[in-house]
Amino acid sequence: VTDQAVKPASSGRSRKSLSWLFQYVLLQALIVIVCIIALRHPLREPPSRYLVTAFNLTDRGTTHAVTLPDFVASRYSTDSPALYTGSFNWSAGEAHGAWAVYLPRFTNGLEIIVNGIEILDSRRDPAANRPDRATPEIAVIPASLLRDGPNDLVIRLYVWGPISGFLDRISVGPDEVLRPYYEQRTLLFVTLPMVFAAWQAILAVILTMMWAMRRHEPAYGALAVAMALGAIQAFSPTALDQVTYPRLNATLVASAPLESGFVVAFAVLFFVRRWPRYASLIFVPGVLLVLVGLFGDTASIRQFFLFLGAPSVGVHLLLLALIVAWSELKRQDVPSLLLGCAVSVVLTCWVHDLLSVLQVIPDHRIFFTRLSYSVLLIAIGAGLTWRFARALNQVDGFAARLVIQVREAEEKLKASFAREEERARAAALARERARLMRDLHDGLGGQLVSIVALSERGETGGGIGDAARAALKDLRLVIDSMDDLGGDLMLALGSWRDRATAQLRPHGITLNWRAATPQGLPVHPELRPWHVIQIVRILDEALTNAVKHAGATHIAVGIDTFADASGFARGSITVEDDGKGFAIAGGGDAIAGGGDAVASDGEKAGRGLRNMRGRAARCGAELELASGAGGTRVRLKLPRCFPDSDAVAG
Amino acid sequence: MAVATCSGGIKLRPEHTPMTPSSDEGPARAITILLVEDDAPTRWRLQDALAKAGFDVDAAATLTEARASLAKRVPRVLLTDLQLPDGHGNDLIRETRQRHPDTEIMVISILGDEESVISAITVGATGYLLKDAFPTDIATTVHDLVAGHSPISASIARFIVKRTQASAEPPPGPPLNTTKLTPREIDILWGIAKGFSYAEIASHLGLSRQTVPGHIKSIYRKLEVHTRGEAVFEAVQQGLIKL
Repeated sequence: VTDQAVKPASSGRSRKSLSWLFQYVLLQALIVIVCIIALRHPLREPPSRYLVTAFNLTDRGTTHAVTLPDFVASRYSTDSPALYTGSFNWSAGEAHGAWAVYLPRFTNGLEIIVNGIEILDSRRDPAANRPDRATPEIAVIPASLLRDGPNDLVIRLYVWGPISGFLDRISVGPDEVLRPYYEQRTLLFVTLPMVFAAWQAILAVILTMMWAMRRHEPAYGALAVAMALGAIQAFSPTALDQVTYPRLNATLVASAPLESGFVVAFAVLFFVRRWPRYASLIFVPGVLLVLVGLFGDTASIRQFFLFLGAPSVGVHLLLLALIVAWSELKRQDVPSLLLGCAVSVVLTCWVHDLLSVLQVIPDHRIFFTRLSYSVLLIAIGAGLTWRFARALNQVDGFAARLVIQVREAEEKLKASFAREEERARAAALARERARLMRDLHDGLGGQLVSIVALSERGETGGGIGDAARAALKDLRLVIDSMDDLGGDLMLALGSWRDRATAQLRPHGITLNWRAATPQGLPVHPELRPWHVIQIVRILDEALTNAVKHAGATHIAVGIDTFADASGFARGSITVEDDGKGFAIAGGGDAIAGGGDAVASDGEKAGRGLRNMRGRAARCGAELELASGAGGTRVRLKLPRCFPDSDAVAG
Repeated sequence: MAVATCSGGIKLRPEHTPMTPSSDEGPARAITILLVEDDAPTRWRLQDALAKAGFDVDAAATLTEARASLAKRVPRVLLTDLQLPDGHGNDLIRETRQRHPDTEIMVISILGDEESVISAITVGATGYLLKDAFPTDIATTVHDLVAGHSPISASIARFIVKRTQASAEPPPGPPLNTTKLTPREIDILWGIAKGFSYAEIASHLGLSRQTVPGHIKSIYRKLEVHTRGEAVFEAVQQGLIKL
């Protein structure tokens, strides 16, 4: 049953992910198609009547007629330009305003000479020297140069390898007509890349901050390096300019493979979340290019860049596309999707550029890879923002959840605390009950058994009555001791006095009660019922001894406090009688009653004394006994603090 | 016991004065007692003890018998148990207190049931008698009560003073309104609870020894529930706690 249940679920999952993959691939294909359409869409050109396409090309010693656009073979020297010679017509009559020469696209540099006077040298424009940017040029022809009728137009095209030289169709016409076309291209191919370069620089700073704050996420570090490289690259001058460190500069300009390598590293760290064994190979082309740039000459770095750098960028893009697609398939989150679409755009542009460089597709030789890279930058920015926002939401959710969890934990703790308390209370209650049972058994049980025995023997004397009274007295004591005395033993003694007075009255004995102070005894908050029972039983025992065995006629109970060795005020209860006393053996046991007391009386008294000492010890109290012919004196010195556990109980 | 010496102390109910007896009066002017107790041996024992001391005792075993007896003759002292076969002694005490305010009411108590005694006090009893008291003590207690001396034990005093102490939750037992007690009366109760004699209490508090019994009776009277509202409340409480 389980297998059957699992299978449809897993197959359902794989079917679902398959359909997701299909949708993803479909989306990417759509993007590629849109890109191709956009790339194939021609840029606007000036009116055809201003186009100048027929030239005579003088290159490497030969001269032949060409029609623009034209390619010339690549070379690595800047002092042998290809020379295009042509002409255009200008009529002073119809012309209003200034005329200009508009060059929409060329590689790599050119000089324009009108009627033998040079009016433009593109090599002084750093942006124009970058073959990856389709920088247009426009040059206003000074009015004094123009002649009515045909004018000479000579273009010197400088080519530096490895890509071949290119010259797109030139327009010569009124400046006001041509300039909008120039401005449009400038916006697209010069200003926009700069804006994105600035954006890339900002991303570099943000990512560096991110990585600095979150060292355990090296993905941000890798992306920060990539962004920094890209930004530096965009603002670096080309090899032709006069620069301080030409080799370093060349290296930086050729750092695209390194940059793409870092982007792939970011993707690996960010989406795969572990570093595969051979992943470091992605840096090999970039590092090689750096080495060539630092130690080789400018020609070799250019060659290396074209034949190693550009393909490796493509490989990196492919890797990136695969990683992102895999991540999208696994996580189906927004950053993966955004990045995936961006990579598709860049990859399409890269293929287009490659074909363009190889002159496979006839076009106007405009490289879009760098421009399309900005789509990737936007995707990265959006992805980061998305992630940041989601993290914030998660923090909010987490905080809310934490509050709930803390509350739940608190409640659980409270409940368990209450349970624990309840358990402790129940245990204390059980202990108390056990003691009570024992006390009842000790006193009441024995007396009731004694009553039963006496009544079975048919006793008619006072025996049964005495035993029953003793039982009642004991029951009162136990009930009384259960009351909450608030630690004031005096309250228990008050009740005991009532009972003792009633007990002594038939014997004609008066109980003399002396309390040294109105307060009586110190208050003991730790006083427990069983302490009370023990103490009252000691007093009862003393009373019984005085009445039954010593034959006393006066009994005095004294209540006072005394300072012990360390000056602590402790309570003391003294029971004195004027009976005949008894001899006390070493152990404190009375061996025999004084005078004519019978042996059994002595025994009973002895047992009573042992009991009293035992009870006193249980409560931590000291029992002092003094007995002589003049009477007996029992002094119970209460402890400083009543013990919690019944340590001496046996 | 020096009963007669104290009789002039405090007269809580002046109408008693002409009837105030003394313990050595003859049978001709014997104090009449209605004894209500369902347990026959206890009833016999108490009846014997009281009769021997010269009291004129009527005995009843149930509430019905007690009411019949009350209808025939109003006793000077009503001595009643609380748990009766056909009802609660408190009902009898309340009725008697309302119809015959001159009758002294004592409740027969067994050991350690201060709660019962207190509940009887709140409906009008002014004394209690322990079932197992010695015969001489029984007679003395009744004489003392008639002389205006309400008995009070350390346990009962303790029970009352504990109610005077502020506590968060109401203590168990019958409801007891102690707000009418004066600080002096509370001090006296503390002294009794701690086992001090009247003389000791009087000397501690700077009172005359003779005034202490009067204070006790005053305390009992103050604990009694008087108003109709109080009575209803008390009855409800009594029903709730099942005395």
